[in-house]
Amino acid sequence: MPQLSDLTAAVAEGKRADTVRLTEELIAESIDPSVIVEQGLVPGMAIVGEKFKNNEIFVPEMLIAARAMKEALKLLEPMLAAAGVKPKYTVVVGTVQGDLHDIGKNLISMMWKGAGFAVVDLGTNVAPQQYLDAAKEHNANLVGLSALLTTTMPAMKETVALLKAAGLSNTKIMVGGAPITQAFADDIGADGYASDAGTAVDVAKTLVGEAA
Amino acid sequence: MTKLSMTGCERVNRMFARQDQDRIPRHDSFWPETLTRWQGEGLNGDHHDVLRLLESDFETLCWSWPAPFPDHREVLDQDHETETIRDAWGGVTRVWKGRSGTPEHISFGCDSRDAWEKIYRPAMLAAPIQIDLDIGLARFREARQLGKWTHLTGVEGFEALRRLIGDETCLISMIEDPEWIRDIVNVHTEIVLRSYDALLAKGIAPDGLWIYGDMAYNHSTMCSPAMYRDLVWPAHKRLADWAHAHNMHVIYHTDGRATGVLDLFVEAGIECIQPMEAKAAMNVCEIAKSHGDKLAMFGNIDVMKMGTNDLDIIEEEISTKFAAAMATKGYAYHSDHSVPPQVTWPTYKAIVGFVERYGYY
Repeated sequence: MPQLSDLTAAVAEGKRADTVRLTEELIAESIDPSVIVEQGLVPGMAIVGEKFKNNEIFVPEMLIAARAMKEALKLLEPMLAAAGVKPKYTVVVGTVQGDLHDIGKNLISMMWKGAGFAVVDLGTNVAPQQYLDAAKEHNANLVGLSALLTTTMPAMKETVALLKAAGLSNTKIMVGGAPITQAFADDIGADGYASDAGTAVDVAKTLVGEAA
Repeated sequence: MTKLSMTGCERVNRMFARQDQDRIPRHDSFWPETLTRWQGEGLNGDHHDVLRLLESDFETLCWSWPAPFPDHREVLDQDHETETIRDAWGGVTRVWKGRSGTPEHISFGCDSRDAWEKIYRPAMLAAPIQIDLDIGLARFREARQLGKWTHLTGVEGFEALRRLIGDETCLISMIEDPEWIRDIVNVHTEIVLRSYDALLAKGIAPDGLWIYGDMAYNHSTMCSPAMYRDLVWPAHKRLADWAHAHNMHVIYHTDGRATGVLDLFVEAGIECIQPMEAKAAMNVCEIAKSHGDKLAMFGNIDVMKMGTNDLDIIEEEISTKFAAAMATKGYAYHSDHSVPPQVTWPTYKAIVGFVERYGYY
């Protein structure tokens, strides 16, 4: 009988075929899909995040792990939906207005999905009002803003100001991207900042009240 | 103004040799929006005039980024801000109308090894030389008269990979299909060198090769040092070997935190790194100690600090870093990226003044 720990290891090593096979076998053994996610897949991506933070693995290894998890989730999500199981936390994410860059935002989204968050990806060049509308629509626990360019940092400040002014008591704001620093995040009033995709999971968990 | 005793060409070459110089070499880059702002604040001219004010020592002769379908640009869609186009690399990108910024890559035509081998590889090899040889020759002659340090410029294999097949396919294939990655890098390098050879055949003798490849970001290199060594480094070494065979020095540009691969750069024959992003933890004060005798340092003046427009902060940044880096005799001034539009024209003129004040030996 396959073990959840085998699935964890397969995800952490980015073994797509093994991850899919083990997920199918666990489903066939009538293991609760939410248990497969929470105790099989999510710990695998947690290993990936930790190794990534420590430069033990790099972006290619992170990508193949995220792809393996995504394939497994394709099998599990219809079952979770049918059972009425919803992710505990929802994140709205996007690249700020004036910025079309998306790799950082996509990497963070993969890692948040890997941590069990529902991710609503607004894409690039997202206007402040779009973030606010999406945060309200999805009752987001977290809004993630990404920027690559120093030229678009003012748009990040403007978006944070709009979200803060809206007084969404349940919604935290997190920022990141190449030019962003903790000092800038503090200065514009963001609730959190992460310098890399691995750290972003820890910070997000802390912000939504779940121990990292 | 302190009297200068060297040409820019002499100065930069002596920097590479760690020999005495009158002052540090200088160059800089600017966002288009920055220049627009400055023109509204009293700048009478363009980036050439700013570089003249700075007394830049460098002159670019050409820019080589060979594409499989040169000059192809097909507008597929547009709105009031952006255009969606199919470009010379066969990809679909969304770009800004009338302003700078990184494009959004929507899809890549070369999305598989099969597409590469059947369409893109033959197209790249059959495409004509994509640098203007006559302009390169004219620039060389003019720059020589001005005593500038002349350089060929172009994109290296890693950046070419990302542009042709996209980040995700590129990075995943570095694990799953390394032979394909090697082939793309090799073909790209072959074509770049072919174009440089054509320019040299015009009878010019540039001083250096300045290659661009953003292989790092603020946390680390995109791939592991071992993967870089295996897949991309041989092409870097080939470029450096070619440059050295033609008596040129080699500068490598990468954004991001490249500290983990500095030794590999040295081993490849790269002699100088630029622009050394401060926000990515690149710091001349530390690298001067660890690699100052092996790698010249070009840049590292923090654009975020420039953007405060606080002259005390900026002066401290420049004076501190210049002191540490100049101790190696292997340092040239440049911002740590491109000067952003948060920097006012009076601030930049003050920066030029600080470079003048602290940049003499």
